[in-house]
Amino acid sequence: MDESVNALAARNAYEAKRGAIAILPLALGASVYGLAFGFLAVQVGFPWWGVAIMSASTHAGSSQIIAVEQFASTGVVLGAVLAGASLNLRYVGIIASLSEVLAGLSLRKKLFAIHITGDENWALTMSERAKSPDVGAPFLIGSGLVNISMWTASTTLGALLGAALPDLGRFGLSFAFTAAFIAMARGLWRGRSQVLPWTMAAAATMAVISLGMPKAYGIIVGAFFGLVVTFLKRRIEAAAR
Amino acid sequence: MSASHWVVVSLLVVAAFAIRVAGLIAGERIRVSRQAWVLDELPGLIVVSLVASSLIGQPPPTWIAAGVALGAAIATNQVIVAMVLGMLAYAGLGWLSS
Repeated sequence: MDESVNALAARNAYEAKRGAIAILPLALGASVYGLAFGFLAVQVGFPWWGVAIMSASTHAGSSQIIAVEQFASTGVVLGAVLAGASLNLRYVGIIASLSEVLAGLSLRKKLFAIHITGDENWALTMSERAKSPDVGAPFLIGSGLVNISMWTASTTLGALLGAALPDLGRFGLSFAFTAAFIAMARGLWRGRSQVLPWTMAAAATMAVISLGMPKAYGIIVGAFFGLVVTFLKRRIEAAAR
Repeated sequence: MSASHWVVVSLLVVAAFAIRVAGLIAGERIRVSRQAWVLDELPGLIVVSLVASSLIGQPPPTWIAAGVALGAAIATNQVIVAMVLGMLAYAGLGWLSS
């Protein structure tokens, strides 16, 4: 009995470590935005330690950026919070999709895991899980801890160093997010049945953004549109049978 | 840090976490319903939408770099390989066009 418990603990520790290492390059890419956000936040009156507190407690990436920008330009607290929070709505879908990964964890662990989950480690976990169903909560938590640590450290560094920072984007780091997510989409690819929903999701996202809406809204509309197409496709296929 | 800064941070913490908890509750309900397929489809759809949102409005070199990353991803199914080759293509094309 003890041996099987120990073996499980060792396996979980190994998976957490694997997730922590695998996320490093992606977290480094996200740090480019973190540095820029820290610099921006300091300019509108946040001290460096305030930036650190905000990043560790909110862990909301683009939502933090928008909330700070709105607060700086309008000075209206509620408007800034609503603008930031609405950009984070995709996390309803992101966290919902983790339901099976989180099943079996205590409520405390679940709440901890969903707080440290970001775009990068979520997508990496789902992509790796598509290859191997053994990938689960330990991988998500290991990669999430590195992700939130790198985000907090990079935003704090951006606040401390500010304009002294070089333009890291020109080294290709600003493209890291896009390249990594293209690769993770490949990992989630199951076959031709996804061609139409994925195409429609991408097209809807681009159409919404082209109309001048924020990117975050485009992502929500795109994913929802893709779900509607999948639903209709399933109904048509069921009727044909 | 002024009181307003603290209020912005505090409210954003509550809002961001409430959204995540809403996702947790929704996921647990959907998982045991007839619509459980939604949870299988969501990751791919969100990732594709994230990529589309990153590429829209970008100049041709960015699309070419995305093509390189996609080619590498199809060939290897390795995130790191696709990411490194995509970044090299992006930096290289940027250097050529500067």
